[in-house]
Amino acid sequence: MTPLVPSAPPLWLRILSWLLPRRHRELVLGDLYEEYTELIRPRRGAVRSRIWLVRQAVASAGSGLAHRVYDLFRTPLSQPGPGGPKSPRGQMDILNQDLKYAVRRLFGSPGFTFVAILSLALGIGANTALFTVVNRLMLEGVGLSDPATLVQIYTSEEDGYPYSTSSYPDYFDLREQNEVFEDVVAHAMFFAQSEVDGGEPMLSMGEVVSGNYFDVLGIRPALGRGFLPEEDATPETHTVVVIGFEYWQRVFAGDPAVVGRTLRILRRPYTIVGVAPEGFGGMWPGIEVDMWVPSMMTDHVNRAFGGTRLENRGSRSLFLTARLAAGVTPDQAAEYVATFSRGLEGAYADTNDGRIMTALPAEDVALHPFVDRALLPVAGLLFAVVGLVLLIACTNLASFLLARGADRKKEIAVRLALGARRWTLIRQLMTETVVLAVLGGLGGLLLAQWTLSLVVGFQPPIPIPINLDLSPDGTVLWFTLLIAVAAGMLFGLVPALQSTRPDVAPTLRDESGAVAGGRSRWSLRNGLVVAQVGLSFVLLIGAGLFVRSLQKAQSIDPGFDTSAAAMVWPNMEMSYITEEEGAVLWEELVQRAAALPGVTGVTLADRIPLGFAVQTTNLLPDGVAPPEDLDAFAVDHAVIDEHYFEVMAVPVVAGRGFAPTDVAENEPVVVVSAAFARRFWPGEAALGRTLSRRDREYRVVGVARDTKVRTLGESPRPYVYFAHRQNYSPVLNIVVHGILPEPELLGQLQTMVRETRSDLVVLSASTMREHLALPLYAPRMAAMLLGVFGGLALVLSGIGLYGVVSYSVARRTREVGIRMSLGADARKVVGMVVAGGMRLVAVGGILGLILSATVTWLLSRFLYGISTTDVATFVAIPLVLTAVAMVAAFIPARRASRVNPVEALRTE
Amino acid sequence: MRKGLGEFEHLLLLAVMRLGDEAYGVTMRREIEARTGRSVSLGAIYPSMDRLEERGLVSSRMGPPTGERGGRSRRYFRLEPAGERAIRATRDMLASMWDGHEAYLGSDR
Repeated sequence: MTPLVPSAPPLWLRILSWLLPRRHRELVLGDLYEEYTELIRPRRGAVRSRIWLVRQAVASAGSGLAHRVYDLFRTPLSQPGPGGPKSPRGQMDILNQDLKYAVRRLFGSPGFTFVAILSLALGIGANTALFTVVNRLMLEGVGLSDPATLVQIYTSEEDGYPYSTSSYPDYFDLREQNEVFEDVVAHAMFFAQSEVDGGEPMLSMGEVVSGNYFDVLGIRPALGRGFLPEEDATPETHTVVVIGFEYWQRVFAGDPAVVGRTLRILRRPYTIVGVAPEGFGGMWPGIEVDMWVPSMMTDHVNRAFGGTRLENRGSRSLFLTARLAAGVTPDQAAEYVATFSRGLEGAYADTNDGRIMTALPAEDVALHPFVDRALLPVAGLLFAVVGLVLLIACTNLASFLLARGADRKKEIAVRLALGARRWTLIRQLMTETVVLAVLGGLGGLLLAQWTLSLVVGFQPPIPIPINLDLSPDGTVLWFTLLIAVAAGMLFGLVPALQSTRPDVAPTLRDESGAVAGGRSRWSLRNGLVVAQVGLSFVLLIGAGLFVRSLQKAQSIDPGFDTSAAAMVWPNMEMSYITEEEGAVLWEELVQRAAALPGVTGVTLADRIPLGFAVQTTNLLPDGVAPPEDLDAFAVDHAVIDEHYFEVMAVPVVAGRGFAPTDVAENEPVVVVSAAFARRFWPGEAALGRTLSRRDREYRVVGVARDTKVRTLGESPRPYVYFAHRQNYSPVLNIVVHGILPEPELLGQLQTMVRETRSDLVVLSASTMREHLALPLYAPRMAAMLLGVFGGLALVLSGIGLYGVVSYSVARRTREVGIRMSLGADARKVVGMVVAGGMRLVAVGGILGLILSATVTWLLSRFLYGISTTDVATFVAIPLVLTAVAMVAAFIPARRASRVNPVEALRTE
Repeated sequence: MRKGLGEFEHLLLLAVMRLGDEAYGVTMRREIEARTGRSVSLGAIYPSMDRLEERGLVSSRMGPPTGERGGRSRRYFRLEPAGERAIRATRDMLASMWDGHEAYLGSDR
């Protein structure tokens, strides 16, 4: 069996192993390797095994580090080595000595150390977690060799949208004639049923790929080989398949002799010629396909969607990726494909009119130019948010360090007076900060891992299995280390400079060691708290806006019945059921569903509004001129049966809905939405008008009230309903409404379908609640993420304020003692201290308010139905912030009131 | 000899005893995890084993490099007579403290 992890440990593991004592490193790595490959990996999935490995490695590194720290206390501080401070050996000794000093000091005040590390871990953890996801999804690519010489090629739509797919004939022409590419690869996704002997049929995802795919992209199969040129030369002659690593593990239990075995795709046997390398899951980050077949097999694996693609220039389903020839730049390639496609336009006007090709450097495309454009602002926003959280955490660190610096003022002054060099002191203080930051980074890494292990099991409501391996790799570790050290250096430097200012005499003279010269530091700390409160305010306002937006979205009426319902989505074509047979089967399914207990209504529809699929059809209403340069309008549509309007509770406001008599032999009819009527026939009656689609005239027999179609936030969208009996569809949703709980409805429905026709492929099954999760997915995620980060910021600021107030209480013990011995009562003292803290909160709050008002407009594109100056949010958030700040200031303030005046006066 | 055994050291010595000739990092970790349900990290095992070896309770030897470990060697541990005495002493100590209390606490086995 091929090794599953290389015997040389990955970078992240090596870095972690540095934390172990040297004599244990190889032993621990060997044990980890052995247990992972021999015992864990064969029994668990790839992702779970990785999680095991990461947990073990991190835990081992943690206890290794703890033992090293423990060892530090066992050995005495050494003097600089015999080589003197200038030699490398001496330098190392100084570093070691600084480290020991720093660790001792940190362990000397465990409370401070714990809070500082926790603050940093929260801030760094949030950044690491986000970076891990973004890195995997958008930065890392899918593991193609030398991506700098790859370009992605797209063909434009007629309406000018530039990044669409290309057709087989266009691809063949480009591949043969081109002068700028070493080679061009074509690939497209497919869904099909697959099975192995003795196994259950399963719905699998794959890619149809040109024969040169593996070679040109530099994907070296783990077993066997990729495709040979002759296997992708003639239509449907070579039934060969390369299977994915996960599929190999899952379906074939990692059988080392899998090459040569047979796998059936849509009932046809395919010979397995290779297994893709671990971690390679096709051309889309985050998606792991099960198999690859040669593009010449496309008409077989795609039969569910009909027609031959190989010869049809108008059928565009391919993504193209090309390897640049030596010396050709991406710009030259882009120019070339544009010219090339203009040639096709001239030669094949009927299919290629207005279809222009573009080429983009592969490294500039993460998922797809269009998707990237939507994701980038989201990623940017999230990074801004976690960046702010980190900033707040670092502010805590700086604030704590200032307080400690002030406490050590006297010690430092003594050392300076005795001739210590300032640089030495700064270096020691900075070492301490960096140790703190690195520990914080380690904590952050653990927090991030924990958060991400929750994310891994999370499937967004789309019918494509997402498989993101989110275990940290070298890049993520470097990222974490970098921000940790940068944070430590940056925020440790000012406090270090402050507390080593060489104004020795006043400090030594001042017996209290606190008041004189403490003024400016004190105000710097205050400034930090003000900044924290301000930043938290901004984050909380953002969170508040998203929560309000979610509320708004949830309260939007989608215009159809969303009470208890369940739906299944069978595909007759994938199940080899002909149209004649299918029409009968749909009838039978509806009748049997209606007879299920607790079911009050059944309907068929090829699309339920607010779902994943957006489908439009080109049509032309009578009396309306087509849009410029086009001959029809693209309008959202659905194919439904005669029960739809009643069952979905969408009232027909004029005319009638469909009837069982609206069959193919009778006049073609449609029902349009009110928005459709308003859009195309404003001020006129829509009933009796006609619209043409695919050379057929449909008469409008009814107008239905508007429903939301694509998103909850949209304004009424033109929508056309076609009658199922006049437009046979092999893929329909069966929707049942009922009086039972949704899971029971769904269970019954699924059982019924299986019993009616056991070989019917069901693409998805969901409850109405799950269906509606999709339109609410984005607002819900946004509210949740911003809520979590806003909460984090609030906690961190609370800690910061608590620290500052505690410090001021400790500093003012004597003053409080005097006041109380002079008769001030405890409540007044508490009030005084709290008021001191709340003054800072007020200033920070006002700054935050101004800042929020100036930056929240950035969020407007993400919000539903509320303005970015939403009054409720701007009232509620300051109240929450004030409440938390009061608590944070009150706890230490109460301590002040418990001061025993006699003790207090004696403190100095 | 220094004080008695810590709880973790006790577990480690018992694991070495149970595993006989097959006592090394992976097997010890799994033995303890399987029997006690307590998750143990390799990074914690080795420093403790070092200390036990210093105290003469166990001895260790390096095995040959193997492919299963990516060409690394196993470190096998063996219980020394002093280790056996230490386990026994700890057990007796615990037993005498427990004496007569099983009935009072009840047995949840």
